[in-house]
Amino acid sequence: VRAYLALLGAGFQRQNTYRLALVAGLTTNAFFGVVRTAIFFALYRERDQVAGLDVADALTYVWVLEGLFAVVWAPWFWELAEAIRSGEFIAELLRPGDPYLRLAAFDLGRTLSVVATRTVPTLTVAALVLPLRLPGTLGGLALLAVSLVLAAVVSFQLRFLFASAAFWTPDYRSMFLFAFPVLWLASGFVVPVDFFPEPAAGAGQLEPVDPAGDGAGAGGHRPVGRPHGRRPARLGGGAVAGRSPGAGRGQPPAGGPWWLSTPASTCGWPPPRCGPPPAGPPTWPPAPWRPR
Amino acid sequence: VRATARRPAHLAARTLAAALIVAIEVAGVMLMLDQFGSIGGWRPAEVVVLFGLGFAGQGLALVFGDTLEASKVSELVRRGTFDQVLTRPASPLGWVVASYVDTRFVGRHLAGVATVVWAADRAGVAWTPGRAGLAALAVASAATIIFGVLMAAAGFTFVTVQGSEAVNVLIYGGQYVASYPMQIYGSALRFLFTWLVPLGLAIYVPALGVLGRPGPPGLPAWLAWLTAPVALAFVAVGGLAWRAGIRHYVGTGS
Repeated sequence: VRAYLALLGAGFQRQNTYRLALVAGLTTNAFFGVVRTAIFFALYRERDQVAGLDVADALTYVWVLEGLFAVVWAPWFWELAEAIRSGEFIAELLRPGDPYLRLAAFDLGRTLSVVATRTVPTLTVAALVLPLRLPGTLGGLALLAVSLVLAAVVSFQLRFLFASAAFWTPDYRSMFLFAFPVLWLASGFVVPVDFFPEPAAGAGQLEPVDPAGDGAGAGGHRPVGRPHGRRPARLGGGAVAGRSPGAGRGQPPAGGPWWLSTPASTCGWPPPRCGPPPAGPPTWPPAPWRPR
Repeated sequence: VRATARRPAHLAARTLAAALIVAIEVAGVMLMLDQFGSIGGWRPAEVVVLFGLGFAGQGLALVFGDTLEASKVSELVRRGTFDQVLTRPASPLGWVVASYVDTRFVGRHLAGVATVVWAADRAGVAWTPGRAGLAALAVASAATIIFGVLMAAAGFTFVTVQGSEAVNVLIYGGQYVASYPMQIYGSALRFLFTWLVPLGLAIYVPALGVLGRPGPPGLPAWLAWLTAPVALAFVAVGGLAWRAGIRHYVGTGS
């Protein structure tokens, strides 16, 4: 056990060593997060709720995804595959203990480091600036933690499987290239799984988590085949907070902060800043039509 | 190319897989936009035209420029291979670019072109020579700009030796930004990607012409033809950065 703990520490340290890479990674996450936030603000300008998700859900999706990106995307599996191909892996078999467990310990250390340096800061800053829907109760936080662990575990297994393809074929990269796009879409990394058409959405939710970067799958376990009336989103433990749509605080009007997105109409964000209602008689409901 | 072409199945697989990624991304975005109906007044098919132009331009640039990526230049410098490159009677840029051509990005480029054709058909674009020319101009300008970014980044890597992945924000992030109509973004993002890294200018403005949209008020129609000189100016700056980087290069001392 002590050897595994040492490996865990080594994984942690290795991840912590590259400060510049950390800054670059955080920059990338922040950039894509900001852009996707702007896109969702623009999308929700015309609708309040789409496929059971409102703006806050969509933004939570974006930032949980950015926060978890480094947890599930860890390119070390290329090193492992290359080691298997070149034969260096034989040395691993000579070492004491189980190679799989050693790898798992090493990756756990890496994951812990990433959670501390990438996931938590990203989500904290995003939650301070934007109206995210994160769990507030102790039970909710626990469920969020469970989904995080599941995301880490499943992504580790997938990484291991991708690397293990090298045991059978030297062309392991092609295996990855073909499997990756499917996982990418099914995991909800491209767009939230909730936006898929009904049958595909059910299939997408069968997939536990993705390899490449998404919290939506993690928090989003739902029984397939539930009635059509959709529950509120469960993005990264969103529903764990126990909010029903419309309950709790009011939704920020779509439009976003000025630096992010062009203002919608009279309302800006944050919420209390609302312009006067448009002058003139209300145009809705329209006056009854009278034949002349 | 020839080294990869020795294994045709491998080559085909890589090209196909790259195209598959584009197809998946487009399908996902199409699904999402269909749920919403429109974004910034643009219909889904029109947005997908932007996606296609972006992928086509990015693929074209990376076919030639992938070897300029920070991690690869960093490898070149650290192993001392670049010393040999400099002694050769050929331009260093030409050598680095020609050293390896990744066919994956041919797939990306072709899938992007196919996406443009398919989405333009769905958006009801009546192709005229002028519109086709604008689309080609958009792809070429975008590719030129991304190549400029890659050159500048490579020049920078000569100085820092350690490659920085932050360049990917400009290459992949810029393409992502330019894949949606520019008017949905706030002023900072718009400024960055219209005037500093003019990818938005190179894709969005010609796309307005291709789709026959009026565009935001105050945008002159001739701006589309400005993209070519802007792209050339940008790649010139990139070239200067590359030269400055080489001049700074001192070798590993091994």
